[in-house]
Amino acid sequence: MESADRAVGFILSLISLSIFSYYTFWVIALPLFYTDHFVHKYFLPREYAIIIPVFAGVGLICFLCMFVGYVMLKSKKKKA
Amino acid sequence: MKHIVKIMAVVVAISASWLGLLQTSIVSQDYTWLLPIYFIVSLGCYGLLMVGIGLMQFPTCPQEALLLQQVLYLRFFCNLLLYIILAEDILEAKDFLKPRGVDVGSD
Repeated sequence: MESADRAVGFILSLISLSIFSYYTFWVIALPLFYTDHFVHKYFLPREYAIIIPVFAGVGLICFLCMFVGYVMLKSKKKKA
Repeated sequence: MKHIVKIMAVVVAISASWLGLLQTSIVSQDYTWLLPIYFIVSLGCYGLLMVGIGLMQFPTCPQEALLLQQVLYLRFFCNLLLYIILAEDILEAKDFLKPRGVDVGSD
């Protein structure tokens, strides 16, 4: 139990740190390199740095709204 | 009400500083356009990090966990016994009350 929690926590923090460093490098460091540098092929074109977070945020909000609506409908059906 | 005013003041201050940064070009304009999204993404990342660290440091008390497990087993066993003892009476009561229109179902 305890080790499972700690493993999940460790994986979660690893994921968050990697996302943060990748995104920081993408947005801030990458424009400073020459356009024919080899490191550019490890990163998507910079428009995706806006599209992907926006889509993820919109998807999250949609999911939250659907979840809230589902719970409300279920509680209403149970009461009636 | 005061909370909303405070939050609105913070939002207005941040957007004013962002617009000022845009106009005066202290950093290049390409960076300034991406700054809000960058901060939102890093905020989400920071929240995730805090959750992960909290999970890692959460203290579990092994003896209490064991006791709790035993208590749960005991309660389940007692419920089972009660059900076995009372099953016949339960069925009788259901058959008695249902024709009289009383709601006897639980799900």
